[in-house]
Amino acid sequence: MTFSLTRRALASLAALAPFIGAARAEEDWAAIEAQAKGQTVYFNAWAGSPQINAYIAWVAEVLKERHGITLEHVKLQDTGEAVRRVRDEVTAGKPGSVDLIWINGENFRVMKQEKLLFGPFAGRLPNFALVDVSGKPTTIIDFAEPTDGFEAPWGMAQLTFFGDGQKLATPPLSMMDLLQLAKTQPGRITYPAPPDFHGTTFVKQVLVETIRDKALLDRPTDKAGFTDAAKPMFDYLDALHPHLWREGKQFPPSQAQQKQMLADGELLMALTFNPNEPANLVASGELPATTFAWQNSGGTIGNTHFVAIPINAQAGAAAQVVANFLMSAEAQARKADLDIWGDPTVLDVKKLPPAEQALFKSGDVPGGVRFPADAIPEPHGSWVPLIEAAWLERFGA
Amino acid sequence: MALSLTDVSIRLGGGMLIHPVSLSIKPGEIVTLMGQSGAGKSTLLSFIAGDLEAPFSASGTVRLGGAALNDVPPEARHIGRLFQDDLLFPHLTVGENLLFGMARGPGPERLKMMQAALAEADLAGFSERPPHTLSGGQRARVALMRALLANPRAMLLDEPFNKLDADLRAQMRDFVFRHIRARNIPCLMVTHDRGDAPDHGRILRLKGGEVKDA
Amino acid sequence: MARTLRRLTPLAGALPLVLLWALPLLLSLAITAASASDTQAWRALLAHPQLFPALFLSMFTGLAATLTALLLTLIILAGFQGTALWHRLQACAAAGLAVPHLAFAIGFGFLIMPSGLLARLASGDASPPAWITVQDPWGLSLTAALAVKEIPFLLTAAFAALFRGDAARLMDQHARAAASLGHGKGSIFLRIIMPQLLAQLRWPLVIVFVYGATVVDMALVLGPTQPPTFAVVAWHALNDVEPAANRMGLAATLLLTAILAMAILTVHGLLHASRDMQRRFLTAGPSALPAPRIGAGIIAVIISALLLLSIFLLLPLSAAPRWPWPGILPPLTGGTAWATLAASPAPLLLSLGLSLAVSAVSILIAVLWLETQPEARDRWLLWLALLSLAVPQLAVAGGQYRLFLDVGLGGKLAGLFLAHLSLALAYVMIVLSGPYRGFDGRYMKAARALHASPASALIRVKLPLLKAPLLTASAIGFAVSIVQYVPAQLIAAGRFATLPMEAVTLSSGGSRPLTAAYALALTLPPLAAFLLAGIVGRPRWR
Repeated sequence: MTFSLTRRALASLAALAPFIGAARAEEDWAAIEAQAKGQTVYFNAWAGSPQINAYIAWVAEVLKERHGITLEHVKLQDTGEAVRRVRDEVTAGKPGSVDLIWINGENFRVMKQEKLLFGPFAGRLPNFALVDVSGKPTTIIDFAEPTDGFEAPWGMAQLTFFGDGQKLATPPLSMMDLLQLAKTQPGRITYPAPPDFHGTTFVKQVLVETIRDKALLDRPTDKAGFTDAAKPMFDYLDALHPHLWREGKQFPPSQAQQKQMLADGELLMALTFNPNEPANLVASGELPATTFAWQNSGGTIGNTHFVAIPINAQAGAAAQVVANFLMSAEAQARKADLDIWGDPTVLDVKKLPPAEQALFKSGDVPGGVRFPADAIPEPHGSWVPLIEAAWLERFGA
Repeated sequence: MALSLTDVSIRLGGGMLIHPVSLSIKPGEIVTLMGQSGAGKSTLLSFIAGDLEAPFSASGTVRLGGAALNDVPPEARHIGRLFQDDLLFPHLTVGENLLFGMARGPGPERLKMMQAALAEADLAGFSERPPHTLSGGQRARVALMRALLANPRAMLLDEPFNKLDADLRAQMRDFVFRHIRARNIPCLMVTHDRGDAPDHGRILRLKGGEVKDA
Repeated sequence: MARTLRRLTPLAGALPLVLLWALPLLLSLAITAASASDTQAWRALLAHPQLFPALFLSMFTGLAATLTALLLTLIILAGFQGTALWHRLQACAAAGLAVPHLAFAIGFGFLIMPSGLLARLASGDASPPAWITVQDPWGLSLTAALAVKEIPFLLTAAFAALFRGDAARLMDQHARAAASLGHGKGSIFLRIIMPQLLAQLRWPLVIVFVYGATVVDMALVLGPTQPPTFAVVAWHALNDVEPAANRMGLAATLLLTAILAMAILTVHGLLHASRDMQRRFLTAGPSALPAPRIGAGIIAVIISALLLLSIFLLLPLSAAPRWPWPGILPPLTGGTAWATLAASPAPLLLSLGLSLAVSAVSILIAVLWLETQPEARDRWLLWLALLSLAVPQLAVAGGQYRLFLDVGLGGKLAGLFLAHLSLALAYVMIVLSGPYRGFDGRYMKAARALHASPASALIRVKLPLLKAPLLTASAIGFAVSIVQYVPAQLIAAGRFATLPMEAVTLSSGGSRPLTAAYALALTLPPLAAFLLAGIVGRPRWR
């Protein structure tokens, strides 16, 4: 591998400069905290949920009070917006407008590969020690891409299905069960069309449950390898689609719409990446109290979402302080609280001091996951574009 | 056939604009109605033509050749009109303006009639021209020909020479009256200028809401 | 004041418009056009499996919506001309125009979807019927919504044409002359009014067509999904994180623009080729065809009902977390959506302030231009304004983003302001130039003869007499500005939370009460602006 000193690399070196010396010292963190004081962090984060927005507003209050940091929530409809903005700013050699970004998967892989991220920094954050890296391996491997400290874990996600217990007595706990259900209840099942994130995940779950050699999924693949390995997946989809909503010729464009169609009674079930979302929706009155959730018995795809700092961030120090606070037991417990957000923690709760453990409430609630299962790591990132392209070609027109 | 009004009165809101008037115009006769502006001359013409609008209202009967016209819509009254402006349609050529009111029928025949009318108006060869390229006098002649080609059974003229230059006026008067008389139809003209009236015609005056012989 | 105004050379009067509007606009378009040379992107685009079906859908929805809207508008005009309701129709059209496209699309969706109001009224089943309404594969729901929403726009444009200067009186006299030539009211409309009107509706129709064929937000709510319309394909590509996909999206935008231009030229050519047929129709001779009063009445009632129901339906839905089947209306159990909205009034205030400023500055710049420039110079300006509206907004915004990033306006309030001004000023110029240039100069001469200075004659005579068009133009500028989402997201880097930003980001979470509440919140300011312009703008002497 040859090393070429590009403008981007130079920029990354320049951005690192303030930290290189200090990183060796023990008092590194105190210095960063001192530097962070008075900085404004533009936190680019998806803002489709008032609960999440309120949580971020709470984080901003705490940071202002304790660290003198101003946290501005730049509300995104789609994380890609921020990724493109950082890339364009770096290309144009302009100061960054993004200091912290809520990210994972494809977006992270792209930013890391294009050297658009500051770091490694995650390992140096004091609270990183609390993260359950062995129990929750996705906190350091994001869609089969090692994080290498370029992003700090924030919350856990796992593909979860939900429906109304009054209309769906026994949930389909596997893709094969789902096919049977679709046959008996034609037109009442569907999934969002890839490349919608949730739709792609549904198809990935089919892939995981149908592929002959699961070991292939952890490795990079190419067009030929994919076509061969994904044949059972497409056989399954071909069998499933005629029984779906609108005979599988049209699909809802988003998970948000699918959720709404479930609430209206058009569909029998919907899916989510946040296992606590159904409970949340019951609490807010958007779904009836008879709602329950489940995960396929063989496990469902799970991952972690993170925060990362762009290479051209203007408030890099404060952004690290924010990332560190987001991993604190206090912030994680509040985030996991069903009344606040209900996002599962990345921490190893059992290792926390008892007082902090007590912060994490648990118990059975309406809309909760009645049939939990293990999380399965995401297939290697190279599978995703192939899945999306093949799906589009087959079912897109 | 004669054009006759029987006890025609026009009201404006609660007041009487024109007191009941009866009047008959023989075929070939041109009657001039004189009056100040605002006296209600044009309103009377609107009533005869059938497009009187609020706030005016009218009573009395309009007859053409004995048949009452009151319930006949304007387009079916067969009454031709000339206005202060020539009102040639700007999106149509001169020839198309002439065809506009001509009864439906075989195309070549209609074109022949149109060309003949143009020649009569001393405008042969102008058929493809857009109206705005014509002079005021030429346009006025086209307007008359257009009205006559629709085969009217009566004519109403509303200050038709008002916007023409003085020297054109006399010329235009002769042209208009000659053609209307040639059709042998009744004609009512309103004007505020006595000089507009034909030399030997009947002249009425509208004053204070009363129509009297002048 | 008088002296400053007199010293204001034509150059100085044109500068604000050229520097703040025309130049950035031209540069943005140039930047977008320059990206056409990426062969890789074109190859990717041509290989895209949805290319042809999506293009067909875009063309179909755009054309069908435009033709339907035009046909219905003409029937309404033909049926209502000369009736007592004519002037009321004008007010209704302005109100309909004020409803934002997206808010209407959302409400319209709630009306026609399989679990929507109409289905609840029609069906007694235990679960919603399998209607193929919203997101139907043929794009009919989208077409219908576009057509309904554009009718008020076409009506308003038609009224503007019919009432410009002397036009109304002249048209009335033409109608009388035509009636005396034996033509019924219907025939007069078809042969006299319509041909003259259509000539003036050319650009509004182009704008409607381009909007319909390139709209993204409405298509996401109501349009087909597999494949979606081409604009949605381009939008997804532009939003992808892969630069290669972005470039393909740009190529797609350019392709769409080119195909739209070709379609418009084709229509133009067809109209030209059929001139003899049109002539024969116009001069066929008298016809007693009556005005389509009943048809127009029915159409007007249906269109108004659809617009009103779609917006009013948002009200209960914004106050109810759930709308369980088969209840006609949802149980009103929560005002949380409105509480969320009320909890953060900053976006609303920012949007109101920004759009008021944009509208005021647009009027100022436009008046400055109109006062200092000879009328002949309006021509190229209006062309540019119409071009900027006729080019897909995705293409303009993309170039603008690059430009503003390079000159350091990205993420700045000034950049946001200029991006809003770009669209608002185009509309203001188009709406204002006609009445302003049509102003009877003798009033000014009379005022000057009474020893008024030019400035005071302008302020005390001309502007008050032009109050109605000035207020209408401000209302349109305001309404156009306040619903803009892309500039806040793209140009201002999301740093300034405007109301549409808040609405669009929150709606991505799919909460119906929040979506409904924000759609309503987006509808109210423009509606208020149009009402206010209508009330304040009413001439004192009428």
